[in-house]
Amino acid sequence: MLHLVKYSILVKVKDFNMVFWPLVFPILMATMFYFSFGRITEADFETISVAVVLDQEDSATESQIFIEYLKKLEQSDEKLICIEEMSKEQAKEALDEKKISGIFYVGNEIRLAVSRNGLPESILQSVLESYENGKQTILKVAATHPEGMHLAMQQLSEYSEQVKQVSLGGRTLNGNVQFFYALIAMACLYGAFIGLGAALSLQANLSSLASRQCVSPTSKLKRILSEMCSSFILHYVNVWILLLYIRYVLRQEFGGSLLEMMLVVLMGCIIGVSMGIFVGSISRLGEGAKGAILLGISMSSSFFAGLMNGGMKNVVEQHAPIINRLNPAALITDAFYCVNVYEDRTRYIRSLLILGVIAAVLVVASFAKTRRERYDSI
Amino acid sequence: MIQIENLVKRYGELVALDHLNLEIKEGEIFGLLGPNGSGKTTAINCMLALLKYDKGSIRIFGEEMRPDNYKVKQQIGIVLQNLAVFDELTVHENIDYFCGLYVKEKKKRKELVAEAIHFAGLEEYVKVRSKKLSGGLQRRLNIACGIAHKPRLIIMDEPTVAVDPQSRNRILEGINELNRQGATIIYTSHYMEEVEQICTRIAILDHGRSIAVGTKEELKSMIKTGETVTVEAVILNAGQLQEIRELASVFDVQYEEQVLTVRCTGAKHNLIWILNYLQEQGVSFGRVFSELPTLNDVFLEITGKQLRD
Repeated sequence: MLHLVKYSILVKVKDFNMVFWPLVFPILMATMFYFSFGRITEADFETISVAVVLDQEDSATESQIFIEYLKKLEQSDEKLICIEEMSKEQAKEALDEKKISGIFYVGNEIRLAVSRNGLPESILQSVLESYENGKQTILKVAATHPEGMHLAMQQLSEYSEQVKQVSLGGRTLNGNVQFFYALIAMACLYGAFIGLGAALSLQANLSSLASRQCVSPTSKLKRILSEMCSSFILHYVNVWILLLYIRYVLRQEFGGSLLEMMLVVLMGCIIGVSMGIFVGSISRLGEGAKGAILLGISMSSSFFAGLMNGGMKNVVEQHAPIINRLNPAALITDAFYCVNVYEDRTRYIRSLLILGVIAAVLVVASFAKTRRERYDSI
Repeated sequence: MIQIENLVKRYGELVALDHLNLEIKEGEIFGLLGPNGSGKTTAINCMLALLKYDKGSIRIFGEEMRPDNYKVKQQIGIVLQNLAVFDELTVHENIDYFCGLYVKEKKKRKELVAEAIHFAGLEEYVKVRSKKLSGGLQRRLNIACGIAHKPRLIIMDEPTVAVDPQSRNRILEGINELNRQGATIIYTSHYMEEVEQICTRIAILDHGRSIAVGTKEELKSMIKTGETVTVEAVILNAGQLQEIRELASVFDVQYEEQVLTVRCTGAKHNLIWILNYLQEQGVSFGRVFSELPTLNDVFLEITGKQLRD
């Protein structure tokens, strides 16, 4: 058995398709994710310099309110912005020299001027929008209860803090990490390609290599088990490399225990490989068609689990929750959330159990189909 | 050693094996000769329990051959028509892997692998990946993987297809050597020269039936042809052709593109009689040669068609 597992791993490691799709491709995607939006988190912590230009004296009250609002933001713990009052010319020059990210023109109408599009500029836009949303209330308080202005300003500046997303387990959810969870789930399912290779190597009607092995005295059960073991081991290592790459090279915080994540990844690998073995064993289609089916399944599973659109999983949960209960990628990401965000052990175990049951069904069905098989044609 | 009785295998309407009967004895190099599509490979795959068959029975070493008859499988080695080695593995790794399917003991396996490498003349290539080898060397590796565990019965399905003459000779010598070491060999081919060269007994297959079985001498004695005389660059008229047909021992005359082919019964004096006749007629001619009957003649006489049609 060890002999079979050893050579099976050796063959797979040297096969381009078995290394590229399950390992290299997810690493490339993770890197792409990182450069696309991974730096958003880092940017959150940079204080944004912004100039305030008082261009009219007419609306002194509103100008004062807005400046007060900005000062509250400046003094907040996040130190989101740093404001500086300037003349029009000074502000323009500073903007051109990129010393500041934008200019608030404060008067009858409050305007924001920026020189480019980017995250700091978007944040300044959000600041303005937040103010506009609460402005009417503030103005009403200023007119009717000027003594309550301080409290009103406090509430307005704390608005963003009040809506900050906080998990049930008390851990803050970094919105970008969900894409990485979905990516790891996809990588787990890409183990299907290793499983497919394993299944093809067991069927004498598909290759001479399989024929030669089928006529040997090594039992089919032993060969199936060794192929499964080698596929699981290899893919488990693949996904671990990806996980460690995301964690330590791309420096994405998962928050939860790595040990518990190990178990999720193990189940993910088992389900991926089992799926490949199942598709490879049951149908009479050629290798290309089977590969295409697996690619379709893994990509659509990952799509519904939120790989391309972070909100997709919630949409599915609202309209067809059964899909989330059966979709392997959704179950894997769900287990990740349970470990890293919710700290919901019952849900974590439920997700792993469902994955285990699906994998067992696929493996038993594949084994029943391939053992002692004689073919109509070769 | 092997008894095949009334074996029938159909692919839909097509009958690939039509009540095939064969008996192969221990120590033979048994040739299965037939044109492409005659059922050689199908018969092999049925013997190996890879293919389902519709009717009949196959017994190897006195036991019914089934996919889970590992006792029988343990004693069989196969060399398939298509290469069946891992591209990703080296020569040594390939042989060790396949040998390991039969031999669990590491020390013994090491010796067997070394012997197989030596047998196939692959000593210089042990660390080379199989896909980097030339076609001939790949074929030799294919054989080494099939015989490394020293099986009692070796089944070789067209092992010399697309092989250069040097490698082919080496392979054929190797098969003789394996036989001398005690292995029984079933050898399928559509190359009659190879089969004639190495097989001790031959079955000729056509349309899934065994149309003749015996040693090459027995097969040749079954047919009328004793000698075939060919005369090139000769111009003959219809009357002369008719007179040649009437010569003693002549039973078939073909004349195409100035080449005269005369088939005669018996093998004595035919050439002299034909040449005397041409001299008497004052007919000039080019190259002349005489051949004893081949397996192609056997096939031709029994089926009415060439082996390589």
